[in-house]
Amino acid sequence: MATTANKNINAKLVLLGDVGAGKSSLVLRFVKGQFVEFQESTIGAAFFSQTLAVNDATVKFEIWDTAGQERYHSLAPMYYRGAAAAIIVYDISNQASFERAKKWVQELQAQGNPNMVMALAGNKADLLDARKVAAEEAQVYAQENGLFFMETSAKTATNVNDIFYEIAKRLSQVQPAPNPSGMVIMDRPTERTASAACCS
Amino acid sequence: MYHTHSKREFSIGFQPQMQILRPSIHSRRANLMVKFQDLYGFAVEGNVDDVNILNEVREKVRQQGRVWWALEASKGANWYLLPHVSSLTEGIALKSSLKLSTLTNAITLKRLIRKGIPPVLRPKVWFSLSGAAKKKSTVPESYYNDLTKAVEGKVTAATKQIDHDLPRTFPGHPWLDTQEGHATLRRVLVGYSFRDSDVGYCQGLNYVAALLLLVMKTEEDAFWMLAVLLENVLVNDCYTNNLSGCHVEQRVFQDLLVKKCPRIASHLEELEFDVSLVATEWFLCLFSKSLPSETTLRVWDVLFYEGAKVLFHVALAIFKMKEEELLLTHHVGDVINILQKTTHHLFDPDELLTVAFDKIGSMTTNTISKERKKQEPAVMAELDQRLRRLNSVKMDDDK
Repeated sequence: MATTANKNINAKLVLLGDVGAGKSSLVLRFVKGQFVEFQESTIGAAFFSQTLAVNDATVKFEIWDTAGQERYHSLAPMYYRGAAAAIIVYDISNQASFERAKKWVQELQAQGNPNMVMALAGNKADLLDARKVAAEEAQVYAQENGLFFMETSAKTATNVNDIFYEIAKRLSQVQPAPNPSGMVIMDRPTERTASAACCS
Repeated sequence: MYHTHSKREFSIGFQPQMQILRPSIHSRRANLMVKFQDLYGFAVEGNVDDVNILNEVREKVRQQGRVWWALEASKGANWYLLPHVSSLTEGIALKSSLKLSTLTNAITLKRLIRKGIPPVLRPKVWFSLSGAAKKKSTVPESYYNDLTKAVEGKVTAATKQIDHDLPRTFPGHPWLDTQEGHATLRRVLVGYSFRDSDVGYCQGLNYVAALLLLVMKTEEDAFWMLAVLLENVLVNDCYTNNLSGCHVEQRVFQDLLVKKCPRIASHLEELEFDVSLVATEWFLCLFSKSLPSETTLRVWDVLFYEGAKVLFHVALAIFKMKEEELLLTHHVGDVINILQKTTHHLFDPDELLTVAFDKIGSMTTNTISKERKKQEPAVMAELDQRLRRLNSVKMDDDK
């Protein structure tokens, strides 16, 4: 299942975070290189795919961009189940969104794939004057919790490709290891174990 | 009644724009994608075939209008609004005093509605047949006015979320994405959030209410359509706290797919593709975010007359239409791409509805209700278990 020959990696990636943090905008910037001031609100989740070449591997991301409203929370497991990577997004100008991001991290740590590559994105980094969350604070939190952290701006494109590239790099490094996840999901005991890799 | 005048101007304003839609020689030759506005002002991107289909659909809408007109001439104006005709859906024979003419009228109406309600008649027909008129008649005439006045200036979690979503509801639409459009949509959504605080506001309702506004002539009627939809037409709790009703519908849908499209269901299971990944949005937005506007409204025509089971018919039809293609897929991504491409290009409503009603086979509201009852305990248990797990995580470090 894990294709070590040409290292084509299919990776499911999920974006989680508070409503309006800019999840869809990050994806739109990464996949289409575009930014719109008012992005349609996402219902359930939207799907995108994008391929990145890193070192000797090609990573094909299957991206699930989820809805942010609290009550949509109950749908999230369907989207992060079997995910190889997650980007947890908050808005640097909104403290509540950072708190919400921490909740997502906790949930993924408790329920998600244990080998999941997790990134913390402090989005809207262009809104320096409105900043409410210090970069240092987020950096410390990320370090303590085994995430890597970047401040991003979907608007100016700062660090957007970089964050996906970094994930791709990490995925390609963990790849040769057999069975990146050994998780057992309570309601689906037959879950495929090698969720990060699949020949394409 | 707010802004009736401008709304009318707005809806009339769109009619001629379709005429300009003739693809140019260039695009015909190169088979380029063209951008245009559809009947309801939505920007659509399609190829020449799509434009031609849309023109055909317009012609069919006109023909269908003539059929409705002819029936009015023979059966009398508003024949379809007579209570004994309209309440006779699902072949539930009403008591004893059933006249043959009533029965034929009911069958005619059901068939007629599946072929589409002409856009000009939609506000009137929807309002009566859905039960919105009846719902409105049980409260004082000034209910909506009083409600919107009473809640003016109030700030709640719901209003905050609504304000956040207004510019994100069909952005770029020539009426919805204006100050007036935002203000009107806001009144409807905020009003409703106070009417039912359990629902409050759920993302997704913004799209539904927006489309209702475009169809109904007044915002007050749009409000009542939203009310009847959430309170009577759809299953309970689709939009409340943890969307439990929506979870139930998704499980019912998964079961139905196994029964009605077993080959697709088993192939998707092999791919570990959970149909809810895509169908959740369909059910919560009632297809308004995935299907072209007239196709969505044709689904709603039947939804308001026959009830929520229509959503299953349509969702199954989308899979059914692409059965062969879907069976060839190897990746989840391919499945989603096929489904997305299919829904976005379903400009011919009849293509979809024919499959939905002729090829899926009949399902009664009764069987669906039983299915729901069967699924409910499992959904509740799962949501409950999840909540408890999350709470135990929180206790470790929170407060």
